[in-house]
Amino acid sequence: MIFPTKLLSRRPRKRFSGDGVVGGGLLAAVILIALVSPWLPLPDPLTNNLADIFMPPGTTTADGTHWLGTDQLGRDLLARILSGTRLSLMVVLLAAAIAAVIGTLLGMVAGYAGGWVDATIMRLMDIQLAVPFILLILLVMALFGTTLENIIIIMGVTSWAIYARVARAKTLELRELEFVEAVRAMGFSTPRILLRHILPNLATPLIVLLTLDIPRLIVLEASIGFLGMGIQPPTPTLGNLIGEGRSYMLLAQWLVLYPGLVIAALVIGCNLLGDSLLRKTHTRLD
Amino acid sequence: MLRYILSRLGQSVLVMFGVSLLIFYSLHLTGDPAAVMMPPGSSQAEIAHFRQAMGFDQPLLWQYGHYLNAVLHGDLGQSLRYDQPVTELIVQRVPATLLLAVTALAWSTIVGVLLGLVSAIWRNSFMDLLARLLAFSGQAIPVFWLGLLMILLFSLQLRWLPSSGYGSASQLIMPAISLGAYYMSAIARLVRASLIDVLHLDYLRTAQAKGLSQWRILIRHGLRNALIPVVTVQGMYFASLLGGALVTEIIFAWPGIGRLAVQAIQNRDFPLVQAIVLLAALVFVVVNLLIDLLYVVLNPRIRL
Repeated sequence: MIFPTKLLSRRPRKRFSGDGVVGGGLLAAVILIALVSPWLPLPDPLTNNLADIFMPPGTTTADGTHWLGTDQLGRDLLARILSGTRLSLMVVLLAAAIAAVIGTLLGMVAGYAGGWVDATIMRLMDIQLAVPFILLILLVMALFGTTLENIIIIMGVTSWAIYARVARAKTLELRELEFVEAVRAMGFSTPRILLRHILPNLATPLIVLLTLDIPRLIVLEASIGFLGMGIQPPTPTLGNLIGEGRSYMLLAQWLVLYPGLVIAALVIGCNLLGDSLLRKTHTRLD
Repeated sequence: MLRYILSRLGQSVLVMFGVSLLIFYSLHLTGDPAAVMMPPGSSQAEIAHFRQAMGFDQPLLWQYGHYLNAVLHGDLGQSLRYDQPVTELIVQRVPATLLLAVTALAWSTIVGVLLGLVSAIWRNSFMDLLARLLAFSGQAIPVFWLGLLMILLFSLQLRWLPSSGYGSASQLIMPAISLGAYYMSAIARLVRASLIDVLHLDYLRTAQAKGLSQWRILIRHGLRNALIPVVTVQGMYFASLLGGALVTEIIFAWPGIGRLAVQAIQNRDFPLVQAIVLLAALVFVVVNLLIDLLYVVLNPRIRL
Protein backbone atom coordinates (compact mmCIF):
# COMPACT_ATOMS: atom_id res chain seq x y z
CA MET A 1 0.00 0.00 0.00
CA ILE A 2 1.55 3.21 -1.14
CA PHE A 3 -0.90 5.71 0.22
CA PRO A 4 -2.43 6.03 3.63
CA THR A 5 -5.73 4.14 3.66
CA LYS A 6 -7.54 7.29 4.61
CA LEU A 7 -6.68 8.67 1.18
CA LEU A 8 -10.22 8.55 -0.06
CA SER A 9 -12.00 9.54 3.09
CA ARG A 10 -12.46 13.17 3.96
CA ARG A 11 -10.56 14.37 6.94
CA PRO A 12 -12.13 16.79 9.39
CA ARG A 13 -11.20 20.40 8.76
CA LYS A 14 -8.59 21.81 11.03
CA ARG A 15 -10.29 24.35 13.22
CA PHE A 16 -7.29 26.60 13.50
CA SER A 17 -4.66 27.26 10.90
CA GLY A 18 -1.61 29.36 11.51
CA ASP A 19 -1.40 30.72 7.92
CA GLY A 20 -3.62 33.70 8.50
CA VAL A 21 -1.92 34.69 11.73
CA VAL A 22 1.57 34.33 10.24
CA GLY A 23 0.58 36.19 7.07
CA GLY A 24 -1.22 38.96 8.88
CA GLY A 25 1.64 39.33 11.35
CA LEU A 26 4.25 39.52 8.60
CA LEU A 27 2.21 42.08 6.71
CA ALA A 28 1.50 44.14 9.83
CA ALA A 29 5.17 44.12 10.85
CA VAL A 30 6.45 45.37 7.47
CA ILE A 31 3.74 48.01 7.14
CA LEU A 32 4.16 49.20 10.72
CA ILE A 33 7.94 49.60 10.42
CA ALA A 34 7.52 51.42 7.10
CA LEU A 35 4.90 53.74 8.58
CA VAL A 36 6.88 54.74 11.67
CA SER A 37 10.22 54.94 9.81
CA PRO A 38 10.19 58.77 9.52
CA TRP A 39 10.47 58.87 13.33
CA LEU A 40 13.14 56.18 13.58
CA PRO A 41 16.76 57.27 14.08
CA LEU A 42 17.74 56.66 10.44
CA PRO A 43 19.74 58.84 8.03
CA ASP A 44 17.73 60.79 5.45
CA PRO A 45 16.90 58.54 2.46
CA LEU A 46 17.71 61.27 -0.09
CA THR A 47 20.92 62.79 1.29
CA ASN A 48 24.07 61.79 -0.61
CA ASN A 49 27.26 61.09 1.28
CA LEU A 50 30.00 60.34 -1.22
CA ALA A 51 32.52 59.48 1.50
CA ASP A 52 30.50 56.40 2.49
CA ILE A 53 29.52 54.73 -0.80
CA PHE A 54 28.93 50.95 -1.02
CA MET A 55 29.32 50.34 2.72
CA PRO A 56 28.37 46.71 3.43
CA PRO A 57 25.44 46.05 5.80
CA GLY A 58 26.20 46.72 9.44
CA THR A 59 28.93 49.33 8.87
CA THR A 60 29.00 52.18 11.36
CA THR A 61 29.98 55.62 10.07
CA ALA A 62 29.62 59.18 11.32
CA ASP A 63 25.91 59.05 10.34
CA GLY A 64 25.30 56.05 12.59
CA THR A 65 25.00 52.38 11.76
CA HIS A 66 23.93 51.47 8.22
CA TRP A 67 22.08 48.24 9.05
CA LEU A 68 21.59 47.33 5.38
CA GLY A 69 24.60 49.19 3.98
CA THR A 70 24.73 52.16 1.63
CA ASP A 71 24.27 52.64 -2.11
CA GLN A 72 26.30 54.20 -4.94
CA LEU A 73 25.73 57.70 -3.53
CA GLY A 74 26.32 56.76 0.10
CA ARG A 75 22.62 56.85 1.01
CA ASP A 76 21.37 54.54 3.75
CA LEU A 77 19.67 51.52 2.13
CA LEU A 78 17.37 50.76 5.07
CA ALA A 79 16.03 54.32 5.08
CA ARG A 80 15.52 54.16 1.31
CA ILE A 81 13.79 50.77 1.47
CA LEU A 82 11.38 51.91 4.18
CA SER A 83 10.62 55.14 2.38
CA GLY A 84 10.18 53.16 -0.87
CA THR A 85 7.89 50.67 0.86
CA ARG A 86 5.66 53.51 2.04
CA LEU A 87 5.40 55.00 -1.44
CA SER A 88 4.90 51.65 -3.21
CA LEU A 89 2.22 50.60 -0.74
CA MET A 90 0.43 53.89 -1.17
CA VAL A 91 0.43 53.50 -4.96
CA VAL A 92 -0.78 49.92 -4.75
CA LEU A 93 -3.53 50.58 -2.20
CA LEU A 94 -4.90 53.59 -4.05
CA ALA A 95 -4.78 51.72 -7.37
CA ALA A 96 -6.55 48.76 -5.75
CA ALA A 97 -9.20 51.10 -4.34
CA ILE A 98 -9.84 52.62 -7.78
CA ALA A 99 -10.02 49.17 -9.37
CA ALA A 100 -12.33 47.83 -6.66
CA VAL A 101 -14.73 50.78 -6.85
CA ILE A 102 -14.99 50.77 -10.66
CA GLY A 103 -15.16 46.97 -10.82
CA THR A 104 -17.76 46.60 -8.08
CA LEU A 105 -20.05 49.26 -9.52
CA LEU A 106 -19.86 47.89 -13.06
CA GLY A 107 -20.21 44.30 -11.85
CA MET A 108 -23.26 45.10 -9.71
CA VAL A 109 -24.96 47.01 -12.51
CA ALA A 110 -24.18 44.23 -15.01
CA GLY A 111 -25.47 41.50 -12.73
CA TYR A 112 -28.58 43.36 -11.64
CA ALA A 113 -29.60 44.90 -14.95
CA GLY A 114 -28.82 41.98 -17.24
CA GLY A 115 -29.62 42.23 -20.96
CA TRP A 116 -27.56 44.46 -23.19
CA VAL A 117 -26.06 46.38 -20.24
CA ASP A 118 -24.65 43.11 -18.93
CA ALA A 119 -23.42 42.08 -22.37
CA THR A 120 -21.66 45.42 -22.92
CA ILE A 121 -19.93 45.37 -19.55
CA MET A 122 -18.90 41.75 -20.05
CA ARG A 123 -17.26 42.60 -23.38
CA LEU A 124 -15.46 45.56 -21.75
CA MET A 125 -14.15 43.08 -19.18
CA ASP A 126 -12.96 40.76 -21.95
CA ILE A 127 -11.16 43.65 -23.64
CA GLN A 128 -9.41 44.59 -20.44
CA LEU A 129 -8.30 41.02 -19.81
CA ALA A 130 -7.06 40.58 -23.40
CA VAL A 131 -4.73 43.57 -23.45
CA PRO A 132 -1.32 42.93 -21.86
CA PHE A 133 -1.77 45.60 -19.21
CA ILE A 134 1.90 46.01 -18.32
CA LEU A 135 2.55 47.18 -21.89
CA LEU A 136 -0.44 49.48 -21.77
CA ILE A 137 0.79 50.95 -18.49
CA LEU A 138 4.29 51.47 -19.87
CA LEU A 139 2.77 53.13 -22.94
CA VAL A 140 0.66 55.50 -20.87
CA MET A 141 3.63 56.36 -18.64
CA ALA A 142 5.68 57.15 -21.75
CA LEU A 143 2.91 59.29 -23.23
CA PHE A 144 1.77 61.19 -20.14
CA GLY A 145 4.86 61.26 -17.98
CA THR A 146 5.97 59.19 -15.00
CA THR A 147 4.13 61.02 -12.24
CA LEU A 148 2.68 59.56 -9.07
CA GLU A 149 -0.94 60.31 -10.07
CA ASN A 150 -0.48 58.77 -13.51
CA ILE A 151 0.81 55.47 -12.20
CA ILE A 152 -1.95 55.20 -9.60
CA ILE A 153 -4.71 55.99 -12.07
CA ILE A 154 -3.46 53.76 -14.87
CA MET A 155 -2.86 50.81 -12.54
CA GLY A 156 -6.36 51.31 -11.13
CA VAL A 157 -8.23 51.57 -14.41
CA THR A 158 -6.46 48.53 -15.91
CA SER A 159 -7.26 46.23 -12.97
CA TRP A 160 -11.03 46.43 -12.44
CA ALA A 161 -12.11 43.44 -14.54
CA ILE A 162 -11.59 40.80 -11.85
CA TYR A 163 -13.60 42.81 -9.29
CA ALA A 164 -16.38 43.27 -11.81
CA ARG A 165 -16.45 39.54 -12.51
CA VAL A 166 -16.83 38.61 -8.85
CA ALA A 167 -19.34 41.39 -8.09
CA ARG A 168 -21.43 40.38 -11.10
CA ALA A 169 -21.50 36.71 -10.15
CA LYS A 170 -22.54 37.46 -6.56
CA THR A 171 -25.16 39.99 -7.65
CA LEU A 172 -26.68 37.39 -9.98
CA GLU A 173 -27.09 35.08 -6.97
CA LEU A 174 -28.36 37.80 -4.65
CA ARG A 175 -31.01 39.27 -6.89
CA GLU A 176 -32.92 35.98 -6.88
CA LEU A 177 -33.19 36.03 -3.08
CA GLU A 178 -36.41 36.98 -1.29
CA PHE A 179 -35.10 40.05 0.50
CA VAL A 180 -34.16 41.70 -2.77
CA GLU A 181 -37.54 40.83 -4.20
CA ALA A 182 -39.09 42.33 -1.07
CA VAL A 183 -37.30 45.66 -1.34
CA ARG A 184 -38.13 45.76 -5.02
CA ALA A 185 -41.79 45.18 -4.17
CA MET A 186 -41.58 48.03 -1.70
CA GLY A 187 -40.76 50.24 -4.66
CA PHE A 188 -37.19 51.23 -3.73
CA SER A 189 -35.16 52.77 -6.52
CA THR A 190 -32.53 50.62 -8.25
CA PRO A 191 -29.55 52.68 -7.00
CA ARG A 192 -30.86 52.33 -3.45
CA ILE A 193 -31.32 48.57 -3.80
CA LEU A 194 -27.83 48.21 -5.25
CA LEU A 195 -26.04 50.38 -2.72
CA ARG A 196 -28.00 49.62 0.43
CA HIS A 197 -29.03 46.01 -0.06
CA ILE A 198 -26.71 44.34 -2.58
CA LEU A 199 -23.42 46.08 -1.83
CA PRO A 200 -23.20 45.11 1.88
CA ASN A 201 -23.54 41.48 0.86
CA LEU A 202 -20.64 41.82 -1.57
CA ALA A 203 -18.28 43.04 1.11
CA THR A 204 -16.87 39.67 2.17
CA PRO A 205 -15.95 38.28 -1.27
CA LEU A 206 -14.58 41.65 -2.34
CA ILE A 207 -12.35 42.01 0.71
CA VAL A 208 -11.00 38.49 0.18
CA LEU A 209 -10.43 39.29 -3.49
CA LEU A 210 -8.62 42.52 -2.59
CA THR A 211 -6.25 40.63 -0.30
CA LEU A 212 -5.46 38.19 -3.11
CA ASP A 213 -5.18 40.84 -5.85
CA ILE A 214 -2.92 43.25 -3.95
CA PRO A 215 0.16 40.97 -4.27
CA ARG A 216 -0.26 41.09 -8.05
CA LEU A 217 -0.36 44.89 -7.90
CA ILE A 218 2.71 45.00 -5.64
CA VAL A 219 4.70 42.95 -8.14
CA LEU A 220 3.29 44.96 -11.08
CA GLU A 221 4.26 48.29 -9.49
CA ALA A 222 7.71 46.92 -8.68
CA SER A 223 8.16 45.65 -12.25
CA ILE A 224 7.29 49.06 -13.69
CA GLY A 225 9.74 50.68 -11.28
CA PHE A 226 12.39 48.12 -12.13
CA LEU A 227 12.03 48.88 -15.85
CA GLY A 228 12.59 52.55 -15.02
CA MET A 229 9.13 53.60 -16.22
CA GLY A 230 7.61 54.28 -12.79
CA ILE A 231 8.29 56.97 -10.22
CA GLN A 232 11.76 58.31 -10.98
CA PRO A 233 14.86 58.24 -8.78
CA PRO A 234 16.08 59.73 -6.49
CA THR A 235 12.62 59.12 -4.97
CA PRO A 236 12.83 55.46 -3.93
CA THR A 237 10.21 52.79 -4.66
CA LEU A 238 10.69 49.06 -4.11
CA GLY A 239 10.99 48.51 -7.86
CA ASN A 240 13.33 51.33 -8.83
CA LEU A 241 15.65 50.46 -5.93
CA ILE A 242 16.22 47.04 -7.51
CA GLY A 243 16.45 48.57 -10.98
CA GLU A 244 19.14 50.98 -9.81
CA GLY A 245 20.94 48.42 -7.69
CA ARG A 246 21.16 46.05 -10.66
CA SER A 247 24.00 48.10 -12.19
CA TYR A 248 26.11 47.65 -9.04
CA MET A 249 25.16 44.04 -8.36
CA LEU A 250 28.68 42.67 -8.57
CA LEU A 251 29.96 45.26 -6.12
CA ALA A 252 27.04 45.48 -3.70
CA GLN A 253 24.58 42.57 -3.82
CA TRP A 254 22.67 43.99 -0.86
CA LEU A 255 21.23 46.74 -3.07
CA VAL A 256 19.27 44.07 -4.99
CA LEU A 257 18.81 41.55 -2.21
CA TYR A 258 17.01 43.51 0.51
CA PRO A 259 14.41 45.46 -1.48
CA GLY A 260 13.42 42.14 -3.08
CA LEU A 261 13.09 40.52 0.33
CA VAL A 262 10.64 43.22 1.38
CA ILE A 263 8.54 42.67 -1.76
CA ALA A 264 8.56 38.92 -1.10
CA ALA A 265 7.54 39.45 2.54
CA LEU A 266 4.63 41.70 1.54
CA VAL A 267 3.45 39.28 -1.14
CA ILE A 268 3.75 36.19 1.08
CA GLY A 269 1.98 37.98 3.95
CA CYS A 270 -0.90 39.04 1.72
CA ASN A 271 -1.24 35.63 0.09
CA LEU A 272 -1.27 33.76 3.40
CA LEU A 273 -3.82 36.16 4.83
CA GLY A 274 -5.98 36.00 1.69
CA ASP A 275 -5.92 32.19 1.54
CA SER A 276 -6.90 31.93 5.18
CA LEU A 277 -9.72 34.48 4.74
CA LEU A 278 -10.89 32.53 1.71
CA ARG A 279 -11.15 29.34 3.77
CA LYS A 280 -12.56 30.90 6.92
CA THR A 281 -15.31 32.81 5.14
CA HIS A 282 -16.11 29.88 2.82
CA THR A 283 -15.99 32.26 -0.12
CA ARG A 284 -15.81 31.03 -3.69
CA LEU A 285 -14.29 33.44 -6.15
CA ASP A 286 -14.86 31.57 -9.41
CA MET B 1 -22.64 23.17 -30.21
CA LEU B 2 -22.43 25.10 -33.48
CA ARG B 3 -24.37 27.96 -31.91
CA TYR B 4 -21.96 28.05 -29.00
CA ILE B 5 -18.92 28.14 -31.29
CA LEU B 6 -20.45 30.88 -33.42
CA SER B 7 -21.39 33.03 -30.44
CA ARG B 8 -17.92 32.64 -28.89
CA LEU B 9 -16.40 33.52 -32.26
CA GLY B 10 -18.61 36.61 -32.49
CA GLN B 11 -17.59 37.69 -28.99
CA SER B 12 -13.92 37.29 -29.87
CA VAL B 13 -14.28 39.45 -32.97
CA LEU B 14 -16.07 42.08 -30.89
CA VAL B 15 -13.30 42.05 -28.30
CA MET B 16 -10.60 42.47 -30.92
CA PHE B 17 -12.58 45.35 -32.40
CA GLY B 18 -12.66 46.99 -28.95
CA VAL B 19 -8.93 46.42 -28.47
CA SER B 20 -8.17 48.07 -31.80
CA LEU B 21 -10.30 51.06 -30.79
CA LEU B 22 -8.48 51.29 -27.46
CA ILE B 23 -5.06 51.11 -29.11
CA PHE B 24 -6.04 53.67 -31.71
CA TYR B 25 -7.35 56.16 -29.17
CA SER B 26 -4.50 55.70 -26.69
CA LEU B 27 -2.28 57.82 -28.95
CA HIS B 28 -4.93 60.49 -29.45
CA LEU B 29 -5.54 60.87 -25.72
CA THR B 30 -2.45 63.05 -25.48
CA GLY B 31 -4.08 65.62 -27.75
CA ASP B 32 -1.47 65.77 -30.48
CA PRO B 33 -0.01 62.43 -31.57
CA ALA B 34 2.38 64.10 -34.02
CA ALA B 35 4.06 66.09 -31.25
CA VAL B 36 4.36 62.96 -29.12
CA MET B 37 5.84 60.83 -31.88
CA MET B 38 8.40 63.30 -33.18
CA PRO B 39 11.75 63.46 -31.38
CA PRO B 40 11.91 66.21 -28.72
CA GLY B 41 13.23 69.47 -30.14
CA SER B 42 11.58 69.10 -33.56
CA SER B 43 10.48 72.37 -35.12
CA GLN B 44 6.80 73.27 -35.57
CA ALA B 45 7.18 72.95 -39.33
CA GLU B 46 8.61 69.44 -39.01
CA ILE B 47 5.79 68.41 -36.69
CA ALA B 48 3.20 69.89 -39.05
CA HIS B 49 4.73 68.06 -41.98
CA PHE B 50 4.78 64.78 -40.05
CA ARG B 51 1.19 65.32 -38.97
CA GLN B 52 0.15 65.65 -42.58
CA ALA B 53 2.22 62.67 -43.70
CA MET B 54 0.67 60.44 -41.04
CA GLY B 55 -2.86 61.73 -41.72
CA PHE B 56 -3.28 63.09 -38.17
CA ASP B 57 -4.94 66.20 -39.59
CA GLN B 58 -7.87 64.16 -40.90
CA PRO B 59 -11.10 63.58 -38.93
CA LEU B 60 -10.69 60.94 -36.20
CA LEU B 61 -13.31 58.63 -37.63
CA TRP B 62 -11.60 58.70 -41.03
CA GLN B 63 -8.27 57.95 -39.33
CA TYR B 64 -9.72 55.02 -37.43
CA GLY B 65 -11.32 53.62 -40.58
CA HIS B 66 -8.01 53.99 -42.35
CA TYR B 67 -6.18 52.24 -39.50
CA LEU B 68 -8.70 49.40 -39.31
CA ASN B 69 -8.59 48.92 -43.06
CA ALA B 70 -4.79 48.71 -43.01
CA VAL B 71 -4.77 46.29 -40.05
CA LEU B 72 -7.30 44.02 -41.72
CA HIS B 73 -5.03 43.91 -44.76
CA GLY B 74 -2.12 42.86 -42.58
CA ASP B 75 -0.43 46.27 -42.54
CA LEU B 76 0.29 47.19 -38.93
CA GLY B 77 2.26 50.30 -39.79
CA GLN B 78 5.81 51.45 -40.20
CA SER B 79 8.32 51.57 -37.37
CA LEU B 80 9.42 55.15 -36.75
CA ARG B 81 12.86 54.14 -35.56
CA TYR B 82 13.82 51.33 -37.90
CA ASP B 83 11.84 52.59 -40.92
CA GLN B 84 10.69 49.04 -41.56
CA PRO B 85 7.22 47.49 -41.50
CA VAL B 86 6.54 46.59 -37.84
CA THR B 87 5.32 43.14 -38.85
CA GLU B 88 8.84 42.30 -40.12
CA LEU B 89 10.41 43.42 -36.84
CA ILE B 90 7.94 41.40 -34.81
CA VAL B 91 8.21 38.25 -36.93
CA GLN B 92 11.99 38.26 -36.43
CA ARG B 93 11.52 38.21 -32.66
CA VAL B 94 8.75 35.62 -32.44
CA PRO B 95 10.96 32.48 -32.38
CA ALA B 96 12.98 33.65 -29.36
CA THR B 97 9.92 34.50 -27.28
CA LEU B 98 8.13 31.34 -28.37
CA LEU B 99 11.11 29.19 -27.38
CA LEU B 100 11.30 30.84 -23.98
CA ALA B 101 7.56 30.68 -23.37
CA VAL B 102 7.15 27.05 -24.41
CA THR B 103 10.14 25.92 -22.35
CA ALA B 104 8.88 27.82 -19.32
CA LEU B 105 5.33 26.54 -19.69
CA ALA B 106 6.52 22.96 -20.23
CA TRP B 107 8.74 22.65 -17.17
CA SER B 108 6.35 24.56 -14.96
CA THR B 109 3.43 22.34 -15.94
CA ILE B 110 5.35 19.12 -15.32
CA VAL B 111 6.86 20.21 -12.01
CA GLY B 112 3.66 21.93 -10.94
CA VAL B 113 1.51 18.84 -11.52
CA LEU B 114 4.02 16.62 -9.71
CA LEU B 115 4.21 18.97 -6.73
CA GLY B 116 0.43 19.25 -6.58
CA LEU B 117 0.11 15.48 -6.75
CA VAL B 118 2.57 14.93 -3.91
CA SER B 119 0.83 17.61 -1.83
CA ALA B 120 -2.62 16.15 -2.34
CA ILE B 121 -1.64 12.53 -1.68
CA TRP B 122 0.29 13.14 1.49
CA ARG B 123 -1.91 15.98 2.63
CA ASN B 124 -0.83 17.81 5.80
CA SER B 125 2.41 15.83 5.97
CA PHE B 126 5.96 17.13 5.90
CA MET B 127 6.13 16.47 2.14
CA ASP B 128 3.01 18.56 1.66
CA LEU B 129 4.48 21.39 3.69
CA LEU B 130 7.67 21.31 1.62
CA ALA B 131 5.84 21.23 -1.69
CA ARG B 132 3.51 24.02 -0.63
CA LEU B 133 6.40 26.13 0.59
CA LEU B 134 8.09 25.73 -2.79
CA ALA B 135 4.88 26.63 -4.56
CA PHE B 136 4.36 29.59 -2.29
CA SER B 137 7.80 31.07 -2.78
CA GLY B 138 7.41 30.77 -6.54
CA GLN B 139 4.39 33.03 -6.37
CA ALA B 140 5.87 35.46 -3.89
CA ILE B 141 9.16 36.16 -5.63
CA PRO B 142 8.93 38.76 -8.39
CA VAL B 143 10.24 37.49 -11.74
CA PHE B 144 12.91 40.14 -12.01
CA TRP B 145 14.23 39.56 -8.52
CA LEU B 146 14.48 35.80 -9.04
CA GLY B 147 16.33 36.45 -12.31
CA LEU B 148 18.80 38.79 -10.66
CA LEU B 149 19.38 36.41 -7.74
CA MET B 150 20.11 33.58 -10.18
CA ILE B 151 22.55 35.76 -12.15
CA LEU B 152 24.21 36.69 -8.86
CA LEU B 153 24.58 33.07 -7.80
CA PHE B 154 25.07 31.07 -11.00
CA SER B 155 26.81 33.62 -13.21
CA LEU B 156 28.77 35.92 -10.94
CA GLN B 157 29.60 33.64 -7.99
CA LEU B 158 29.68 30.09 -9.31
CA ARG B 159 30.26 30.97 -12.98
CA TRP B 160 28.19 28.02 -14.14
CA LEU B 161 25.79 29.73 -16.53
CA PRO B 162 26.04 32.71 -18.89
CA SER B 163 24.16 35.74 -17.56
CA SER B 164 22.68 36.75 -20.91
CA GLY B 165 22.39 36.01 -24.59
CA TYR B 166 20.50 33.71 -26.89
CA GLY B 167 21.48 30.67 -28.93
CA SER B 168 22.68 27.87 -26.67
CA ALA B 169 20.81 25.66 -24.23
CA SER B 170 22.81 26.96 -21.26
CA GLN B 171 21.56 30.45 -22.03
CA LEU B 172 17.96 29.25 -21.97
CA ILE B 173 18.06 27.72 -18.48
CA MET B 174 17.88 30.77 -16.25
CA PRO B 175 15.35 32.79 -18.30
CA ALA B 176 13.08 29.74 -18.53
CA ILE B 177 13.30 29.10 -14.79
CA SER B 178 12.50 32.68 -13.81
CA LEU B 179 9.64 32.97 -16.28
CA GLY B 180 8.14 29.59 -15.30
CA ALA B 181 8.46 29.86 -11.52
CA TYR B 182 5.17 31.68 -11.10
CA TYR B 183 3.18 29.27 -13.29
CA MET B 184 4.76 26.30 -11.57
CA SER B 185 3.46 27.60 -8.24
CA ALA B 186 0.03 28.42 -9.56
CA ILE B 187 -0.34 25.01 -11.20
CA ALA B 188 0.89 23.18 -8.10
CA ARG B 189 -1.65 24.96 -5.91
CA LEU B 190 -4.43 24.41 -8.40
CA VAL B 191 -3.71 20.69 -8.85
CA ARG B 192 -3.54 20.22 -5.09
CA ALA B 193 -6.85 21.97 -4.51
CA SER B 194 -8.75 20.32 -7.33
CA LEU B 195 -7.33 16.86 -6.60
CA ILE B 196 -8.40 17.16 -2.98
CA ASP B 197 -11.85 18.20 -4.21
CA VAL B 198 -12.04 15.16 -6.47
CA LEU B 199 -10.55 12.55 -4.14
CA HIS B 200 -13.56 12.14 -1.89
CA LEU B 201 -16.17 11.90 -4.64
CA ASP B 202 -18.33 8.81 -5.01
CA TYR B 203 -16.92 7.60 -8.29
CA LEU B 204 -13.50 7.31 -6.74
CA ARG B 205 -14.95 5.18 -3.95
CA THR B 206 -16.57 3.06 -6.63
CA ALA B 207 -13.22 2.66 -8.35
CA GLN B 208 -11.71 1.63 -5.03
CA ALA B 209 -14.52 -0.84 -4.39
CA LYS B 210 -13.84 -2.39 -7.77
CA GLY B 211 -10.40 -3.19 -6.43
CA LEU B 212 -8.36 -1.04 -8.78
CA SER B 213 -4.87 -0.19 -7.65
CA GLN B 214 -4.36 3.07 -5.81
CA TRP B 215 -2.09 4.49 -8.48
CA ARG B 216 -4.55 3.66 -11.21
CA ILE B 217 -7.37 5.33 -9.31
CA LEU B 218 -5.25 8.34 -8.64
CA ILE B 219 -3.93 8.88 -12.14
CA ARG B 220 -6.74 7.62 -14.37
CA HIS B 221 -9.70 8.73 -12.30
CA GLY B 222 -8.43 11.46 -10.01
CA LEU B 223 -5.75 13.42 -11.80
CA ARG B 224 -7.53 13.32 -15.13
CA ASN B 225 -10.47 15.18 -13.70
CA ALA B 226 -8.33 17.45 -11.58
CA LEU B 227 -6.49 18.58 -14.70
CA ILE B 228 -9.53 20.20 -16.31
CA PRO B 229 -9.16 23.49 -14.40
CA VAL B 230 -5.43 23.42 -15.14
CA VAL B 231 -6.17 23.54 -18.86
CA THR B 232 -8.40 26.59 -18.42
CA VAL B 233 -5.87 28.37 -16.29
CA GLN B 234 -3.14 27.81 -18.83
CA GLY B 235 -5.16 29.88 -21.26
CA MET B 236 -5.32 32.71 -18.75
CA TYR B 237 -1.56 32.55 -18.34
CA PHE B 238 -1.06 33.62 -21.90
CA ALA B 239 -2.29 37.04 -20.88
CA SER B 240 0.39 37.48 -18.25
CA LEU B 241 3.00 35.59 -20.24
CA LEU B 242 3.99 38.63 -22.25
CA GLY B 243 4.16 40.68 -19.06
CA GLY B 244 6.49 38.17 -17.46
CA ALA B 245 8.47 37.66 -20.65
CA LEU B 246 8.93 41.41 -20.89
CA VAL B 247 10.82 41.62 -17.63
CA THR B 248 12.65 38.30 -18.10
CA GLU B 249 13.84 39.26 -21.56
CA ILE B 250 15.16 42.60 -20.29
CA ILE B 251 17.14 40.96 -17.48
CA PHE B 252 18.73 38.26 -19.60
CA ALA B 253 19.06 40.38 -22.78
CA TRP B 254 16.88 37.83 -24.56
CA PRO B 255 16.10 39.06 -28.08
CA GLY B 256 12.34 38.48 -27.96
CA ILE B 257 9.14 40.46 -28.33
CA GLY B 258 9.08 41.67 -24.73
CA ARG B 259 12.46 43.35 -25.09
CA LEU B 260 11.40 44.75 -28.45
CA ALA B 261 8.31 46.24 -26.78
CA VAL B 262 10.24 47.91 -23.97
CA GLN B 263 12.80 49.30 -26.42
CA ALA B 264 9.98 50.54 -28.62
CA ILE B 265 8.44 52.39 -25.69
CA GLN B 266 11.79 53.87 -24.69
CA ASN B 267 12.38 54.99 -28.30
CA ARG B 268 8.84 56.40 -28.50
CA ASP B 269 8.29 54.11 -31.50
CA PHE B 270 4.51 54.06 -31.05
CA PRO B 271 3.39 52.20 -34.21
CA LEU B 272 5.57 49.29 -33.06
CA VAL B 273 4.11 49.38 -29.53
CA GLN B 274 0.56 49.48 -30.90
CA ALA B 275 1.25 46.51 -33.15
CA ILE B 276 2.71 44.45 -30.31
CA VAL B 277 -0.25 45.19 -28.03
CA LEU B 278 -2.67 44.28 -30.82
CA LEU B 279 -0.90 41.00 -31.60
CA ALA B 280 -0.62 40.06 -27.93
CA ALA B 281 -4.36 40.63 -27.52
CA LEU B 282 -5.03 38.57 -30.64
CA VAL B 283 -2.98 35.66 -29.30
CA PHE B 284 -4.82 35.89 -25.98
CA VAL B 285 -8.26 35.94 -27.59
CA VAL B 286 -7.50 33.06 -29.97
CA VAL B 287 -5.92 30.90 -27.27
CA ASN B 288 -8.85 31.47 -24.93
CA LEU B 289 -11.30 30.63 -27.67
CA LEU B 290 -9.45 27.36 -28.34
CA ILE B 291 -9.29 26.57 -24.61
CA ASP B 292 -13.03 27.12 -24.23
CA LEU B 293 -13.69 24.73 -27.08
CA LEU B 294 -11.19 22.23 -25.71
CA TYR B 295 -12.93 22.43 -22.35
CA VAL B 296 -16.14 21.22 -23.95
CA VAL B 297 -14.28 18.27 -25.46
CA LEU B 298 -12.46 17.42 -22.21
CA ASN B 299 -15.42 17.60 -19.89
CA PRO B 300 -18.18 15.25 -21.03
CA ARG B 301 -20.61 16.82 -18.57
CA ILE B 302 -20.78 19.92 -20.76
CA ARG B 303 -22.92 19.05 -23.76
CA LEU B 304 -24.18 21.87 -25.83
